[in-house]
Amino acid sequence: MRELDTSAPIAKRTIWTRLMAVDRRIIFLAVALSVALPLIYPIGLPVKTANESRAYFKEMDQLNAGDVIMFSFDYEPDTMAELDPMSLTTWRHAFRKDLKIIALTMYAGGTGVAERIMRQVAGEYGKVYGEDYIFLGYNPDWSGTMLRLGESIKATYPTDQYGTPSESFPILQHVDRYGHIKLLVSVSASALSEYWAIWAGGKYGQRMISGNTAVQAVLIYPYFQTDQISGFLGGLKGAAEYESLVGIKGEGTRGMDAQSTAHALMVLFILLGNVGYVMNRRRRTQ
Amino acid sequence: MSVDPGVWIAAILTLAIFSFLYKDNPVYKFAEHLLVGVSAGYYLTQYTFSAVYKKLIVPVFLNGEWILIFGGLLGLLMFFRMNRKTEWISRYAIAFYVVAWSGYVIPSILQARVLVQAQGTIPVTTGSIFSIINAWLIMIGVLCILIYFYFSMEHKGVLLPVSQVGIFFLMLGFGASFGYTIMGRITLLIGRFQFLMGDWLGIIEKL
Amino acid sequence: MKRTGPVIFGFLIGMVMLLQYFSPHPTLLSTYNLILDWKQVVFGMTLILGIVSLVRFHSTKIRRKQDGWLYSIVTLAGLVAMSGSSLVWGTERGFYPWAFDNIQAPMQATMFALLAFYVASASYRAFRVRSLHAGLLLLAGVIVMLGRVPLGELIGITIKGQHYALPQLSTWILDVPNLAAKRGILIGVGLGMVATALKILLGIERSYLGKGA
Repeated sequence: MRELDTSAPIAKRTIWTRLMAVDRRIIFLAVALSVALPLIYPIGLPVKTANESRAYFKEMDQLNAGDVIMFSFDYEPDTMAELDPMSLTTWRHAFRKDLKIIALTMYAGGTGVAERIMRQVAGEYGKVYGEDYIFLGYNPDWSGTMLRLGESIKATYPTDQYGTPSESFPILQHVDRYGHIKLLVSVSASALSEYWAIWAGGKYGQRMISGNTAVQAVLIYPYFQTDQISGFLGGLKGAAEYESLVGIKGEGTRGMDAQSTAHALMVLFILLGNVGYVMNRRRRTQ
Repeated sequence: MSVDPGVWIAAILTLAIFSFLYKDNPVYKFAEHLLVGVSAGYYLTQYTFSAVYKKLIVPVFLNGEWILIFGGLLGLLMFFRMNRKTEWISRYAIAFYVVAWSGYVIPSILQARVLVQAQGTIPVTTGSIFSIINAWLIMIGVLCILIYFYFSMEHKGVLLPVSQVGIFFLMLGFGASFGYTIMGRITLLIGRFQFLMGDWLGIIEKL
Repeated sequence: MKRTGPVIFGFLIGMVMLLQYFSPHPTLLSTYNLILDWKQVVFGMTLILGIVSLVRFHSTKIRRKQDGWLYSIVTLAGLVAMSGSSLVWGTERGFYPWAFDNIQAPMQATMFALLAFYVASASYRAFRVRSLHAGLLLLAGVIVMLGRVPLGELIGITIKGQHYALPQLSTWILDVPNLAAKRGILIGVGLGMVATALKILLGIERSYLGKGA
């Protein structure tokens, strides 16, 4: 093996080479500060609403007291920062309008997420479990569950999450399949809202809206254009937009300042990296 | 600052995971393995309750729907995978699951993902001039992308510029995905900072 | 029995599911419902098998004192504590929901939050405008990134008294080129799924059954 030649001249360190070799820990620190500072010192930038969020709000807002909706918590704690604000506002919006909710989840870890949100919002509005909302819980095999719900909710879920027979709930007295539900809401961290649209919407004609993580939201635009998904919220911005439409200040709105500064920092990083790259290349060709 | 021991444990574990940013270390490894164990325990309870109790014990033994026991027997076949000699028996359960899925995927995906989406691509001729232009752009984009993904013929002659246009659309689409991905990742960090600075330290107001 | 049996069995089940889409016949419908019910149980059992495999893996590691066996004890202790407490106190109270809220949820969320740091570092080091295509991707990414946050409202130009803010451009990218790109992919993937499902149904594709099938 050749030994390292320590006498060889070290390549001249220009500002451009330095620009391309910033230690990753400095980048990490900058990211942390760009998120932390606006949370401590809020700027209060105004939130403007997008078409898809207005459509989501409209679908919820046009329902009448006593109407039954189905709400699926299709996420686990990993994405709760993005999706909890959507779920909280949707439940607050629903309870404010005295809607009845059948809740469920397609993820095993979604049960804990759902229970926390339901407990919190039901407490705020004085709603009663079993009368105003029920939690059917988790069922294995999401595709089979979505299809089976189209034939019978009570057969798909013989009991709720806590072992009480589904037949005993007043909400399910006249509601047993998609056609009986006014609106399906899927707040999802994966492609599940697409599959709700394919199976609940495509096969059974169920009208639906969805809340999606930012990563997933870009894929929902084609479904929104064809009205397979009648409205959707994309990422924390979507949550903030919905909060402003409903008139509730939540984590979505509060996070918008930090989101703005962190995005600006990202753009700055990309610019710096590219300026360094271009200048270095130019220097080498010279 | 919080006085709830649960919040303190959550905060310490959050910092333990964040310690990976400095470098891999035993505190992070401990937290990582604890997460796997606790999650597996949580899931095991949920799977057992939902699959065995709700879907088997309640309908079969309490409601008397004996025919549903067949699902349980099929499910038990899966455990034959644990021994190499009996592994083949589990193929019946796998075939049942996978082929049943294939059966309903064919018409539903064809309808909702292909036909309805293709229908939505046909441009409208009413509305503002911008909406008409946009509708045509969408159709051109979709057609060019589909041609770009058509690998049965070499992309030369007329197919070359068409597939190039397809790439342009794809790049803009991937750019949008990139922008949104950054948004999502930052949000997850905001969530943890809101917890640390709000619920734990009390520096920011708790909503 | 070992190879053809599962394929024939699967074909019969798959055909019921396929035909039911086109026919509302009561017998077909009740069989379809029955298969969906069975399928959910099979899936649940498969998930339990996954946990059993995890336990076997870590037990073996501890028994043989392999590298990191002490961490395996942590994993198994977490698993036993969580599932055991649900047996003793149920899932609504006690250690089970407490540990979910204070151990599992914060750690799972933090694990994914780490990605924010790495995506920043990767954007800085690897996102280079090396070609026109890379430039387009980067331009769209930056416009969407800034246009989808309130900060973007402050960026724009005024032409003849009309203000055009960046979010308008970002909305157009999302609604038109992004939609076209995602739809092209959706249709392509959709056709691919249908073709694969058909091959599985007809027994042409058998790799899902494992080696020797």
